[in-house]
Amino acid sequence: MVISIDTNFARLLVRLADTELILAQRLCEMCSRGPFLEEDIALSNLALDLLGRAEELYKLLAETEGKELAADDYVYRRNEREFFCYKLVEQPNTDFAWVIARQYLHDVYAKSVFTRLLQSDNSKLAGLSEKVLKEIRYSLERSKDWMLRLGIGTEESNHRLQFAIDRLFRFVPELFAFDTVDLQYIADTEGLIEEWKMEVSDTLRTANIQEPELKSTHLRDSREGFHTEYLGHLLSEMQFLPRAYPDATW
Amino acid sequence: MVSSSVTEHIWELLKQVPDPEIPTINLVELGVVRNVEVVEGNIKVIITPTYTGCPAKQLFVDLIREQLAASGYHDVEIETQLYPVWTTDWLSEETKTKLLQTGISPPVADNKPVVCPHCGSKQTKVISRFGATPCQALYTCNSCLEPFSYFKCH
Repeated sequence: MVISIDTNFARLLVRLADTELILAQRLCEMCSRGPFLEEDIALSNLALDLLGRAEELYKLLAETEGKELAADDYVYRRNEREFFCYKLVEQPNTDFAWVIARQYLHDVYAKSVFTRLLQSDNSKLAGLSEKVLKEIRYSLERSKDWMLRLGIGTEESNHRLQFAIDRLFRFVPELFAFDTVDLQYIADTEGLIEEWKMEVSDTLRTANIQEPELKSTHLRDSREGFHTEYLGHLLSEMQFLPRAYPDATW
Repeated sequence: MVSSSVTEHIWELLKQVPDPEIPTINLVELGVVRNVEVVEGNIKVIITPTYTGCPAKQLFVDLIREQLAASGYHDVEIETQLYPVWTTDWLSEETKTKLLQTGISPPVADNKPVVCPHCGSKQTKVISRFGATPCQALYTCNSCLEPFSYFKCH
């Protein structure tokens, strides 16, 4: 079964929802693997916020598309090529510095995107944006704190964060490769890119991390359903139960 | 009963539904119950979640249904609204005092000091921005050295 996404507004929603869902799933994988107990709890709580955000976006998507599909159908019944999350968020939890760098780069972007969606013509998306912005700002404070703590902590933590940033930066240009769908709903994308660069450059400088150059890559875009090898593995675990036992309920 | 007294009765019943995670305060005090509408005998309760990912979201609905059914209101519509966005500004001073007495430091705005619920000291520091529930953070007191939960300002 292929679940098609039929309107531009739905395409916008599915990108937002998939991005929050896949990052939530990545953070769920950290449960019991955090560097210490408090941080373990924090990562799971953050995963809950992201999952709750994704759920509301999928509900709005389901309502917009009107195909009698539920949020769960979008989560569990699509294949890799039918997901539209940015490649940044599907990258694995290589180590704690990766978890933090990925979160920080996501949070800065999400804050700018949802701030613009406050002006959405769709009142539900505008209201939801106001709700989730509170959570995103809080998450950003935390992920930025950790960027500084790792960056100016020890030689080892600095080295690991530098490695994570160097590797993850290759997935940043995709965030800014706005297509006609994005441009239709997200105002002032030029300003968004500027905001992101200023905020991230400032944090990296303070954290004593060298800022890598943003180079365009030959990777095909997630907006067309292209991903890195990691998404398929993530989905096979996340979707296992409903795929093996269709229509199972709690 | 006329609808206004039904409405009042429903509000009274809802004030007896404790928050599942902080049972000393109820769902009305928490600001989760936004409105009760009784139109031609149809009862509708409008609620809002504290956080989009709050695991107690479904439990709120179940507890409300159970409470109202126990008093004979079996056919109740419960609608979840996200907007206006839930805020800790809706907690009354009385509710905040109750939280403090429970051992949870109530939300404070504008970077004012977080008070230790054990000794009242304002010399406290954050340990982790997330705690036992999505709405709490972990703190420790520099004076009495005890750890405590802080109800995040949201």
